[in-house]
Amino acid sequence: MSSSVLAVEGEGFVSPGPGTFVYPPAFGEGTFVTKPMLIVILGSLAVAVFFFLAARRAAMVPGKTQFVGESLYGFVRNSIALDAIGKPGLKYVPYLATVFFFLATLNISGILPLVQFPATSRIAIPLFLAVISCILFNAIGIKREGLGGYFKNMMFPSGIPWPVYILLAPIEFVSTIIIRPLTLTLRLTFNMFAGHLVLVLFILGGEYLIFEYSGVVGIAAGTVALLGSLVLTAFEGFVQLLQAYVFTLLSALYIGGALQDEH
Amino acid sequence: MPSDAPDDSSKAESERAAGREGEADAYGALGLVISGVLVWGGVGFLVAERLDNRLFVMLGLLLGMGAGLYLVWFRYGRQRDQ
Repeated sequence: MSSSVLAVEGEGFVSPGPGTFVYPPAFGEGTFVTKPMLIVILGSLAVAVFFFLAARRAAMVPGKTQFVGESLYGFVRNSIALDAIGKPGLKYVPYLATVFFFLATLNISGILPLVQFPATSRIAIPLFLAVISCILFNAIGIKREGLGGYFKNMMFPSGIPWPVYILLAPIEFVSTIIIRPLTLTLRLTFNMFAGHLVLVLFILGGEYLIFEYSGVVGIAAGTVALLGSLVLTAFEGFVQLLQAYVFTLLSALYIGGALQDEH
Repeated sequence: MPSDAPDDSSKAESERAAGREGEADAYGALGLVISGVLVWGGVGFLVAERLDNRLFVMLGLLLGMGAGLYLVWFRYGRQRDQ
């Protein structure tokens, strides 16, 4: 709602764009580290320290930290690994749990007060994880069926007259090797990108309306925009957890597919 | 999907299998159609550039979509009937 108001009265208000995602070095000119990098480093440390504390004094009767840690790990184990892969998936729970909690933390950093930037909206992070998942499920398939057998099963399913393979084999190859990691990357990156942009727009727009545009209309519309940003922040939190889950679930499904016999 | 399932026996293995198969199939089918259009649309584009005839882009896109849809049927549509 505020965006349409701004579009009409747009003079003076610079609406946020892709430039919002480019940060200068955090410690002044010439230094290397930027805010997204800091979020990645601190987020990884937070996850590592939390699970270290949760597992350090593992007891039969769990303490509070251990209970939370086990519940979270159990969620990945039961709702992702077992649901998507089945019993053989238990071997891959450590990888899936790492991916899930790493992504969930970096996504949630988008609505964490004071931090408020989802590090995963920078494409390098989802891309790197997607490439790891891609290498992993292909390696599993190659290990199970051998290099030739894996690509033969992937690109040349039996029961098709051979001239048609010319048409179909490249599609199967591209779909498995390129489209899978690409869609994993883009789905996560641009969910975070768009979510952050909407939040920034509502908050900066609301601030502009109240303090710069002012007047009864400006203050009323600005207040609505700022209240809306609260609702959207809650919604973003939901999307951020959901996207971490979807990324992990799809990785698990691909691993499951590589473990499964060709139907 | 219950998030606090106490253990893996809470749900029948067959039920899990059906669920994950459906999900994997849905994403797999989408990927195949996209790749079909990309691969053969791309080939069509290159041929069109080479021959300076834009008709080949459309031919490539249609061919790719047809091939992708055929693959979806071949991979996921058939065995349900048997």
